[in-house]
Amino acid sequence: MRQLQQFYREMLLLRYFDQLCRALKMKDIIYSGYHPYEGQEGVAVGFCGALKPEDVLLSTHRPHCHAVAKGCSLESVLTEMMGRRTGCSGGLGGAMQFLAPENQFYCGSVVGSNLGLATGFALAMKQKKLDRICMCIFGDGASNHGTFHEGLNLAAIWKLPVVFVCENNQFAEAMPVQEFVACERISMRARGYGLEEITVDANDVEEARRAANEAIERCRRGKGPVLIEAVTYRIQGHYVGDPEGTYRDRKEVETARNKEPVKRAREKLLQGGVEAAELDSIEQEIEEELEALQEWALKQEFPTLEAAIDHVGIPLENAPEVRGPQSLTL
Amino acid sequence: MAKITFGEAIRQAYEEEMARDRDVFLIGEDVGRWGSLYRSSTGLLEKFGPDQIKDTPISEAAIAGCGVGAAAMGMRPIVEIMYIDFITIAMDQIVNHAAKWRQLSNGKVKLPMVFKTQGGAGRRNSSQHSQCLENWFVYVPGLITVMPSSPYDVKGLLKSAVRDDNPVVFIEHKALYFEKGEVPEEEYLIPLGQAEVKRTGDDVTIIATSWMVSFALEAAERLQEEGISCEVIDPRTLWPLDRKTIIRSVKKTGLCMVVTEASAEGGWSGEASSVVHEHCFADLRRPVKRHCGMRTGIPYGPILERRCIPSVESIAGAAGALLREARGKG
Repeated sequence: MRQLQQFYREMLLLRYFDQLCRALKMKDIIYSGYHPYEGQEGVAVGFCGALKPEDVLLSTHRPHCHAVAKGCSLESVLTEMMGRRTGCSGGLGGAMQFLAPENQFYCGSVVGSNLGLATGFALAMKQKKLDRICMCIFGDGASNHGTFHEGLNLAAIWKLPVVFVCENNQFAEAMPVQEFVACERISMRARGYGLEEITVDANDVEEARRAANEAIERCRRGKGPVLIEAVTYRIQGHYVGDPEGTYRDRKEVETARNKEPVKRAREKLLQGGVEAAELDSIEQEIEEELEALQEWALKQEFPTLEAAIDHVGIPLENAPEVRGPQSLTL
Repeated sequence: MAKITFGEAIRQAYEEEMARDRDVFLIGEDVGRWGSLYRSSTGLLEKFGPDQIKDTPISEAAIAGCGVGAAAMGMRPIVEIMYIDFITIAMDQIVNHAAKWRQLSNGKVKLPMVFKTQGGAGRRNSSQHSQCLENWFVYVPGLITVMPSSPYDVKGLLKSAVRDDNPVVFIEHKALYFEKGEVPEEEYLIPLGQAEVKRTGDDVTIIATSWMVSFALEAAERLQEEGISCEVIDPRTLWPLDRKTIIRSVKKTGLCMVVTEASAEGGWSGEASSVVHEHCFADLRRPVKRHCGMRTGIPYGPILERRCIPSVESIAGAAGALLREARGKG
């Protein structure tokens, strides 16, 4: 029960953090497309939370909760989404793409790219004989991308230490998964790469963590990659304010709310004898923490243009006048 | 000095860099058993083993992504894309990730890697195996684009590219692999971003790239017989561009022609012309002339393909005409 309670706290933090971000998006304080995470917390806590600090995590265009679960501070993730210089990427990346190399966290806003990138991190780990692994999370939509095939195949033939997690939230933007995947489960595709077919109900956070630990252990033992389909459900739209009525029924969402991971964990804890008051106090603590976070975040500075161009122009000793007169210069 | 082929010069660069630094590795289709399509890595699999010479499946996106990931982990991959025409499959990994990560990480993530490929016509391969696509990479901030034209240059530039901490797109020309040139026994490097005056002259400056450099030099030789003195500049690095060498030359000659195999429209030749117009307008006796390949898919067979790209005769004719125009104008 103690572990589940810890998971519950972590998931609830992500749930409220996501709500805070949504509110900031509505106020245009988060600028770019914002992809809400509500309902998928079992994946972040179950999978990302199972990694060691030195393991690498490659995430998606919906990365904020993965990042926090991997160990990035709430401050660095939130202010990145707000475009402030205290963000992981100095406020230059935004809500869909940022890098936090000190936390071994990388994400990007192009669906499916990370399956290719993951093979390189893992190849280096394997060749340098490091006791580290790489986890690569992507959505159900990415499973139709060319890099899904190329990356999985390369990892499989070279037995690279990658845990591939297909976070199946049932929708690729506005398209329901059953319309774009012909097989019954995405995990069935694993067979095509000589891998085992593993599907887990990731709305059961304990199940998710068990599957994650097993996969990570397997990778650490040098047994090659693992592909897991982590089944969940996207409660919010693809982005805040998407035309939801065009692709699903509200009733479907209401049904899903009964199966979402935070609710399930809470019910299980209560059944297991944990006092409601104790869980409520967790809620209270998180609310206070996030309130303070927001207050702090709003005071943070924006990056300067110098910071934005500092690493774009390639400074070469022998290349005088790198920037042209036609481009804007400082 | 020993005369060796362009391909052998590449092989020597690999050999020296891989022996110097075990983190340097070559990854691509048939780089091992075959020793690359044009034999530029012959014998290296035997010498360095499969950790440093990695044969891959036909998966350009995964190969490129693998390079990016490994580079982020501190290795120095040389990603070989067999034909530049196939780099289309890897563009996401190069443009959206390799070129962006340094900026997105505020300089914390360095990608010391080379995307090495070859392009151009000359081997009767038709339009999907003969393209000049260098312009795409020149346009992307965060990339260095190199096009060597001789055995001496390819060796020195490749060694510098391997040692550079930025992603370098290194584009060879398929017609050059069996060309011979003098290469010293002792080690040397050629800095990236430095043009070379390949022939000095007073009447007209010819800026040529890649295969076209040898054409321009031969054209210059012929024009010399007619009493026309050409200065031939090879930028070697297309971006960042060594403007100073170009400007110095055109200020001397007052006439400039840019020769590329790639078609002129929307291309780097326009960038080079603009540099001259912006910096040497008062010195120019005639506007810069571009003498470039036709805007068409390279047609099949030896006759038509040669008619689509500049030749020694056409370059000599165009340069001579430019000079006559200038003289006629008085």
